[in-house]
Amino acid sequence: MAEYEINAAHLYGDLMNTYGDFGNIVALRYYAQQIGIDVKQHIVSLGDDFDAKSYDFVLFGGGQDYEQMIVADDLPKKATALQAYIEDYGPFLGVCGGFQLIGQYFILADGTKVNGIGALSHYTLNQPDGRFIGNVTIKDEVNGLEYHGFENHQGRTFLGDDERPLGKVIKGKGNNGEDGGEGLVYKNAYGTYFHGPILTRNGNLALHMLQLILERKYPQVDWQQKIATITPEFF
Amino acid sequence: MSLKSGLATFVGKSTHTLLHNILHRGGTSLPGKLATKIDPNVMQSYAEKYDVILITGTNGKTLTTTLTTRVLREKYADVITNPSGSNMMQGITGTMLTAKLKDKSQRPIALLEVDEANVEEVARQLKPKAFVLTNIFRDQLDRYGEIYTTYEKILKGIRLFPEATVIANADSPIFMRGELPNPKVYFGFNHLPATGSMRAPHNTDGVLSPTDNSILRYHFMTFGNQGYYFSTTDDFKRPALDYAVTSLNKLTPVSSNFDIDGITYQIEIGGMYNIYNALAAYAVGRFMGVSAEQIQHAFSSNAQIFGRQEAVKVKDKEVTIVLIKNPVGANQVIDMMKTDDQPFSMLALLNANYADGIDTSWIWDADFESLHDTGIQAVATGGERYKDLYVRLKMAGFGDHPVYQDLQQIVPAIESMPTKRVYILATYTAMLQLRAELKQQGYIKTGMGD
Ligand SMILES: [Zn+2]
Repeated sequence: MAEYEINAAHLYGDLMNTYGDFGNIVALRYYAQQIGIDVKQHIVSLGDDFDAKSYDFVLFGGGQDYEQMIVADDLPKKATALQAYIEDYGPFLGVCGGFQLIGQYFILADGTKVNGIGALSHYTLNQPDGRFIGNVTIKDEVNGLEYHGFENHQGRTFLGDDERPLGKVIKGKGNNGEDGGEGLVYKNAYGTYFHGPILTRNGNLALHMLQLILERKYPQVDWQQKIATITPEFF
Repeated sequence: MSLKSGLATFVGKSTHTLLHNILHRGGTSLPGKLATKIDPNVMQSYAEKYDVILITGTNGKTLTTTLTTRVLREKYADVITNPSGSNMMQGITGTMLTAKLKDKSQRPIALLEVDEANVEEVARQLKPKAFVLTNIFRDQLDRYGEIYTTYEKILKGIRLFPEATVIANADSPIFMRGELPNPKVYFGFNHLPATGSMRAPHNTDGVLSPTDNSILRYHFMTFGNQGYYFSTTDDFKRPALDYAVTSLNKLTPVSSNFDIDGITYQIEIGGMYNIYNALAAYAVGRFMGVSAEQIQHAFSSNAQIFGRQEAVKVKDKEVTIVLIKNPVGANQVIDMMKTDDQPFSMLALLNANYADGIDTSWIWDADFESLHDTGIQAVATGGERYKDLYVRLKMAGFGDHPVYQDLQQIVPAIESMPTKRVYILATYTAMLQLRAELKQQGYIKTGMGD
């Protein structure tokens, strides 16, 4: 057994993993292993408790509309614990449906309003004609890095005042096709419409996430130095 | 036949004659296109003459149709079928218009592979006697496609004909959704004891119970979301099977030996998914009165089955080319490779053109990690999106490996693999490029679909 380990909760991983979201855990595990750290995946699904203390990273992926409705019904039972986890700087990655559901609400193609857990302040409207589909490139204005991905979403998400976008859209549509932002950052919580999956394609972001996770769990270790030895993949 | 459909038929048939006999081109879609232009309902007058059986589902349609055609021809003189790929209304119209019947005394059968989204339209015109449902998996090619939406499209066609028999893969829980008054025939697997209680792996679609949307459990799973499922919240479970695979005897990458209802059958093609296809063909055969002996004979006849895989000799390498397009399909190919008792190498080719699916995310749902405990000796990646696959295999633990962006390098790439056996997994347009290159270099003779 490795000296250090990361316990990753894959929220509704058996229902919400439509576009390779699991790849995000594959990427984290790949990098973590290089510095001797195990990443364990735990599926937290319908009817299961979310015990915030048990997890060091939470992945919430996208699903089909049908599954997303079922998940939305179950989420209130986990809402308080998830919100507390995020407020306590818990590292979180929400992709597509998971990004929408962690916010206030979203509106389906047919106009149905579905409540999210309301942990974060963004909300999602629908798009009467069409979807945003295609390759997307954004620039993270904090570190100047470019991120690559593929977006495919009908929802248009608008961030709250306490959230900032993950990056500025260079190519593609981003959150809503209007304000030039893609994704969100709030404390250590990240949201994005990137399939593709974001951490596999953008090694620097994966390493940043790894650092957030490890510094929060094992603050006594100099993680920056260890992580600097890893070569990130980017494509 | 009305004057209009008479004219439509005439135009359709003469277009076919022109294409086929004079221009020496095969082609079922142009005659159908012209005939449909003249009379959109041209097929209805044909429908009465045939026993029509429609085969649909996201995977396995083509091979199920091929095998079923063989099975039915054991008993029936005239079984017409559409070439793979011509599975929308026009192609089907072309097939029916240009069919030549041998035995006018027997009622002919039209066994047709139908695209899921076209079931309603085709059914409306052809009044099927039976619908055969193979499975519904998420398909990257259908970018809006949700499995429930796809199934809803199929149901619309079935609902038009409540007296038609539904011959369905009962191992696929989605087919238990929606009440249908139709007579039903169920096929599936009963090769293991119904004792376990497992959850599907995390990247499985369609594991919700149709009764209350709780997550299903399984006594055993075959692949994807298929198997002997049951609910823990109510008494919903897989229905009793009319026809079942009762034993898996010997599986190799190029052959499958198994029992259905206690009798042994063999098909010269590997892969669990092909056993499902054979089982579907068996179920249709029995439904149409074909005997077990006749089906055995049909399966064992030597003609090569063109499925998703193709064997090619390249210098001293035994190459197997397999099409991949979604995680379920890729996992099946991975499982098939695992049945190889010889060391092998894998060359995986990824493109992301429209016909491949422009979103490559699905490669992360394919379980390449599970290849570590097999005879795999080396991997290489290629195609226009070689970088995606390169990182995928690297993160799956295969380390740094050769990449071939340009498929003109494919022959040297194959030659440089360390084993005699080489599996090439390719997405649709990568497959076309690969075949074009192999054809140009004289390793294969025909183009795809010739
Ligand atoms: Zn999405």
